[in-house]
Amino acid sequence: MLMVCAVNTISAQTFDISSGGQPTITGALGGSVTGSASVLNNLVVTINFGEVSPANTNSIVKVVVPIAIRSTQPYQVSASLAGLGSANPQGLQPSDIGFGAANIRAMGNQSQVCTQSNHIFYPPFNNDPASTATIAASGRVTYQSSLSNIAGATVILSGPRLQKSSNPVRQANDGYIFDAIFAITPQFFAAGTSSATLTFTISAGPSVPC
Amino acid sequence: MNTRTTRVISRTLLFPTLLLAFAATAFAQQTTGTINMSATVSKFVEINSGGAITLTGNSGGGITTDGTANTPLTAQINLGELGPSNTNSFVKASVPLKLRSNANYVLSMIATVASTGSTSDKIVDTDVGFGLGSVTRAGTGVNTGGADTNATSGDPTLAGNGSVNGTSGRYEYTATNSNLGAFSSSTTALSGVRILNAVPRSNTNGLTVPAIFSVKPQFYEDGSTTVAVTFTVSAP
Repeated sequence: MLMVCAVNTISAQTFDISSGGQPTITGALGGSVTGSASVLNNLVVTINFGEVSPANTNSIVKVVVPIAIRSTQPYQVSASLAGLGSANPQGLQPSDIGFGAANIRAMGNQSQVCTQSNHIFYPPFNNDPASTATIAASGRVTYQSSLSNIAGATVILSGPRLQKSSNPVRQANDGYIFDAIFAITPQFFAAGTSSATLTFTISAGPSVPC
Repeated sequence: MNTRTTRVISRTLLFPTLLLAFAATAFAQQTTGTINMSATVSKFVEINSGGAITLTGNSGGGITTDGTANTPLTAQINLGELGPSNTNSFVKASVPLKLRSNANYVLSMIATVASTGSTSDKIVDTDVGFGLGSVTRAGTGVNTGGADTNATSGDPTLAGNGSVNGTSGRYEYTATNSNLGAFSSSTTALSGVRILNAVPRSNTNGLTVPAIFSVKPQFYEDGSTTVAVTFTVSAP
């Protein structure tokens, strides 16, 4: 009986998301990012953008979070946002945090290389927001994509099977890694503190051939 | 319990135990991951030069260190001759200031006046007129709807801001906060609501206001005078 239960549990696990390596932060004043450097650990990252008033004289605060994904069938990755949004329009808003995804790469020799389908970053998220920041007519910085583009569970990436084997145990070489990229341009925002949680979910995606 | 029985029990327990361990590893897989984010915006204020200084009515003297827009304010002005040989009605210097903030602000000023003379006829702080001119909030990203309160009486050379004392004959700046005597300790000169909307620091717009200083040439005791003025902007 125990054996049957265990097998059922294992066979149900066809998708996995984990840390894709050490996150990095640049341009911060008093900021930090913490997360596991191991692709075998869960994705639990804490970003402190630090000071984003003009007291931070850097042009932009940029954070890159590598995310590892594994699946034995076509997949999709969605993102959902909780928190953030100041009642003061001059306060930090979701549109003030650039968010994009890019740079998908195989983890190793157990990564499934498919020739009939591509891994697709969904517009408008297919960019590095630190490179697409522009100034609007109002003088405020905008991005090709930002956290304001996330409504409910928003799909940002999909593609074919990610790993060769059906081994349900995480390996260091059996999936793909992509970068979730965040950017904030220090501005004359209204004073205050802001926080938010972004949740990434991997699930069955559009049925595409490998 | 004999040795054979013990081996059988051990093997019987070993397999499920391994399976449980394997299953536990499999449970390590996750379909979700989280990124928690936070950021801080502190109150920010700054004062810079608003541009070139203008000096009028002077006899000799000149602008030793001029202001350059959007750079720290470190101006130096030689007002020239302030005795009656200067026949102009006033020597007047207008120093443009530029303020920027993401919060309500207070501009305060403190001034010291030191003269080499030894009598009450030397130039003293009340002989140096001061006031802030018209406040301008203009340009992309500026909070143009914001209100400002000028605690001075404006251009000190305006007729309503001073007159000759009927008893002493000395010209005096009589309006509220119209001479440096009112700023011998740090005193608010201007205050208002946030100046800039959410725009980056590279946006050079802001609030501009001229700080106007004046001296009416009179029969002061001969000597030299040094005036030092420090502006400070803060976010209470």
